[in-house]
Amino acid sequence: MPPLTCTKFALIIITGVIIQIIGLSLFVFGFFPVKPALSGTSGSESFHLPVCDSVGNRSDVTQPPDQLRSLYQELSGIPPSFDRLILMVIDGLPAEFVLGKDGKPPHKQFSEAMPYTQSLLASGLAIGYHAKAAPPTVTMPRLKAMVSGAIGGFLDVAFNFNTQAMLDDSLLGQFFRIGWEMVMLGDETWLKLFPGVFKRHDGVSSFYVKDTVQVDQNVSRHLGDELSRDDWNLLILHYLGLDHVGHIGGRSSVLMAPKLKEMDEVVKLIHSSTINSQENGQGQTLLMIVSDHGMTENGNHGGSSYEETDSLALLIGLRNHVFDYASVVQQVDIAPTLALLFGVPIPKNNVGVLITEAFDSLKEDERLRALELNSWQLLRLLQAQLPGLPCRNFPCDAFSGHQSSGTSECNHSTENMLCCMYMEAAALHSSWKSKRDSEAASQKDYSSTAAAYYMFLKSASEWLSHRSTDKPVKLLAVGLATMFISCLILSSLMFLMIKETYMGGKQQPSNVNNSMNRWSLDETFIISVVLVLVASMGSSSMVEEEHYIWFFMLSTFYLLLLRKTAESFAVGGQKSLSLQNGQGGKGCFRIFYIFLLLISGRILRGWHQGGVNWTSLPDISKWLELAGSQYVKSLQLVSAFLVITIGLFALFSIVSKGKLFQMVRLSFLTSALLVLLHIIRYQDYTFSSTNYGATLLAQIIYAILLAATVGTVVSLPWLIPFSTYKIRPTDDNALSLPSFLSFQEKFPFVELKDSLYVIGWAYIYSWCLLQLLLQQPINATPILLLLVQILASLHYFAGNRAHRKEWIEIAALYYMGMAGHFALGNSNTLATIDVAGAFIVSLCLRNNPVHLYRGFDCSCNWNLCTFSPALSEKKANSGQKQNKKTQEVALASSNHFFFYFFNATNFV
Amino acid sequence: MRVNTIDKLKHSVPNKTEKKKKKTKKEKEEDDSHIPPGAVFLVHLYSGLFVALGYWVAYRGYSINLISDPANTLLSIWVITCPVIVCLYSCFRHERENNSFRRAAFRGIISLPAGALMNACGAIVLGAPTPVEYLEKTFNWSFLMSAFTFAPAAAVYGSSSTDWHRIYGWKQTKETIDYMICLPAYGAVIGAWLGALPMPLDWERPWQEWPICVTYGAIAGYVVGCVGSWAVAFVRDMREKEKEKAE
Repeated sequence: MPPLTCTKFALIIITGVIIQIIGLSLFVFGFFPVKPALSGTSGSESFHLPVCDSVGNRSDVTQPPDQLRSLYQELSGIPPSFDRLILMVIDGLPAEFVLGKDGKPPHKQFSEAMPYTQSLLASGLAIGYHAKAAPPTVTMPRLKAMVSGAIGGFLDVAFNFNTQAMLDDSLLGQFFRIGWEMVMLGDETWLKLFPGVFKRHDGVSSFYVKDTVQVDQNVSRHLGDELSRDDWNLLILHYLGLDHVGHIGGRSSVLMAPKLKEMDEVVKLIHSSTINSQENGQGQTLLMIVSDHGMTENGNHGGSSYEETDSLALLIGLRNHVFDYASVVQQVDIAPTLALLFGVPIPKNNVGVLITEAFDSLKEDERLRALELNSWQLLRLLQAQLPGLPCRNFPCDAFSGHQSSGTSECNHSTENMLCCMYMEAAALHSSWKSKRDSEAASQKDYSSTAAAYYMFLKSASEWLSHRSTDKPVKLLAVGLATMFISCLILSSLMFLMIKETYMGGKQQPSNVNNSMNRWSLDETFIISVVLVLVASMGSSSMVEEEHYIWFFMLSTFYLLLLRKTAESFAVGGQKSLSLQNGQGGKGCFRIFYIFLLLISGRILRGWHQGGVNWTSLPDISKWLELAGSQYVKSLQLVSAFLVITIGLFALFSIVSKGKLFQMVRLSFLTSALLVLLHIIRYQDYTFSSTNYGATLLAQIIYAILLAATVGTVVSLPWLIPFSTYKIRPTDDNALSLPSFLSFQEKFPFVELKDSLYVIGWAYIYSWCLLQLLLQQPINATPILLLLVQILASLHYFAGNRAHRKEWIEIAALYYMGMAGHFALGNSNTLATIDVAGAFIVSLCLRNNPVHLYRGFDCSCNWNLCTFSPALSEKKANSGQKQNKKTQEVALASSNHFFFYFFNATNFV
Repeated sequence: MRVNTIDKLKHSVPNKTEKKKKKTKKEKEEDDSHIPPGAVFLVHLYSGLFVALGYWVAYRGYSINLISDPANTLLSIWVITCPVIVCLYSCFRHERENNSFRRAAFRGIISLPAGALMNACGAIVLGAPTPVEYLEKTFNWSFLMSAFTFAPAAAVYGSSSTDWHRIYGWKQTKETIDYMICLPAYGAVIGAWLGALPMPLDWERPWQEWPICVTYGAIAGYVVGCVGSWAVAFVRDMREKEKEKAE
């Protein structure tokens, strides 16, 4: 077989990687299917039986609003009990704060913070529900679910900060069509979702999460004015402050009780004004208080834990009710309830079921009519999902006699069951109607009809929600197969490489000793880590607690290195007696680096107690926060100062006098000082401090860093050879510039290596500065430790370049990056994506290894052919990983995907 | 290889050719430290039995076990096991003519805290919890590990770095006694490492706590190492006999 040429090799690798990416994206799109939404909107046809679609007048959408309103009124058969709706959204309020948990009343601190709401609940003027939100529990998808009743695709989470207009049928669209005047105050997500429907609006951005006061003042300042007006039908108030309080300080933040009190004041104000307006004859107003999602103990959200999905739905303005703390509904149930209460068609993609208690004031036939309308709407959705649904075959008006024929085909499949349930309910309903006409209808008939409807609605809703998360198996299989093919290509390439090197080794008898060393302990370990990781992905708890694996493996790897170094040190020490004295000192330093790595690794591990199951255990960050914010602050300052010093030292220790080089140094120095200034002046811990100066300063820092980094990367390789060439031989400082020197010994393109070294440093340094700027104050020390780790491992590996394979360095840096990602408090749950410390979602370190070892591998080995074994191996391993077809793997890989995606979307 | 010869140069009488040097040294050591597999078996059997005895004492005498009270159970195990291991290995001490049994045993005892410190550091670096309530457990666990890993080598060889290097080094030539020391030690360390793997799983079993499953793993690994070293001794002994027959 002819030996592979370098070009051919590179080409095959690139093909393999591209195939892998294609396979992965196929898999991801299969795993997160785009929601199968029906286009178009519900019109007057929704007040007719779905079978008689042809009868429905499709042109009604174009009718003028007033006509449409009266048409709906006439068709629906339910007199509207309210004229106006106030939808108050309190972002991130867990229902537990208002309704308590497990049927028990809420904690005293919470109930005391909301006295008015509690009194409303106690007197029966309000009914509260735990509204279960579907994951992802972030604002935009949840708002969509509330107004459309549909369960969106999981990928919606990616668009949370990049909201597009909502085109599907929704409550707001329906209201707009019947000519309602709408006013929106609060989160500007609404404006992005529904551009142009609001008569007046005042949007606030949800991005400046450090601000907990201004966001809510911006809403409340218009409140008195709006409440006194009567030119609107729907008033949306979206309060963001509570979510921001959670992001900053968690559930038990000191700011939580005042914020709840503020919300309570708002409720009081609105409620008293609605009572007033009712007395003045301005019509009935329904106040609905909802929250879009809950929050975890740390105040984050996004995942599917009870704390995050436990959102609130509170209806104020209905007739008296006996209050029950434990009633649970779905968040999507809000949409059909509001639609039916206000006499508009239920949005087309709704999977929710109306909330019964909201209709208790109506007459029996109206209540049954509401259930019927909801059933029809769900039946339409079912028919769209299942073209062969048997119910379709029944003629429009011939329901009453067919009950017996219906039951015969029950029990076959879920679809048939659903159909049967509907048939039964419809039959009961019509018999109830005929009985009522003959005035023989009893309470029992009514309740059995209602129960039958409920059974159908609940099971249909459940089936439809499941359906919306079903996965297209074919796409998944194709994706997996593609990844498998790429894996095969890459691994065969790797075997080829190994074979070639092995043969090459055999030809030279002097290499026997080397080939014995080939599979030394650390190399075997690195391979086994991959295997352990693949195996661990099979267990869901290992996915949740992935950080333990990384920390454990990384420390073990360092210990193995320590053992190896100690062993060679022992050898070196003996040699040094007879041979040379310099060896021993170097070995000492290398052991010192390993200890540095081990210690900083252990501190990083203890900094955040990540994961899912053991987050409540004590860790350094919690301990520091308990100790007081002044410690956090001073620690942050010290770490920031050290990071800046180390970085500057590294930059200035490169002996070069080129003008461009001075510029780079100068710009990094400036941005470092600005970051320090920002930390000192603006990053106060507990209290909000968003102001113009802070934002401007941050923008200036971004600009300088971006310019410096891009400038370095683009221009340095072209310009630096002339500037450093002469000075290079005089530099003898081996410890400060180990890689710098060793490249010069090893490679012909010396100048290129120099510049790549500088580029690598520019990358790392700008990354550190950005992190210092964006991360929470508590994370400043981990950043310092990570920098120390990077430095220490670089120095360590630079020590004996001759005996080391590059891919070990790459693997070590990669593992370090993974561990560092978790050390900054991230985990595989969406909830830990931290929006608090940042103007943008924190840039995860997980992205960083790519940058890091791009920088370093370029400087380590420019030559692709020496680099490729590592690459192909890694790829092959990741390919293997994909072949474990467990969901967890998919979930984990999707998580990885998300982190990339987030960063991508946020920087776009 | 080369290291050893260099080292041995200092100790042994300087001979003229390297080959000869080696041979005389080897012969001398064989006289000195040839260990029959039966002895290896007995040593391991005794140390294993005393580990079991330590556990039994804790279980019967104080009605505690690893799960209910890991710290004290570990204490009972190591207090009973350590002297036995130290004494057993002191019988195989290196350079008998220079070292008395007492001296070897003393070395073994001294090495215990040092080894415990290293084991504890290793465990903490690998993620053993550091809050105060865990310190006692870590302390006792590291003494047990020290008895498995450090004490035998210290009792046999003292603090000679070359010997230590030969025992625990990678791909060095070893005597039977070296295998007897290093295989159980490696077994204990690797077993403990593997024992830590199920800790993050959400099975919510009491034994997933810090030193418990690690101790199980260490003891299991130790036993495997013992069996392995006995097997090595057995094989070497067979070969030795075959050689003798051939000669």
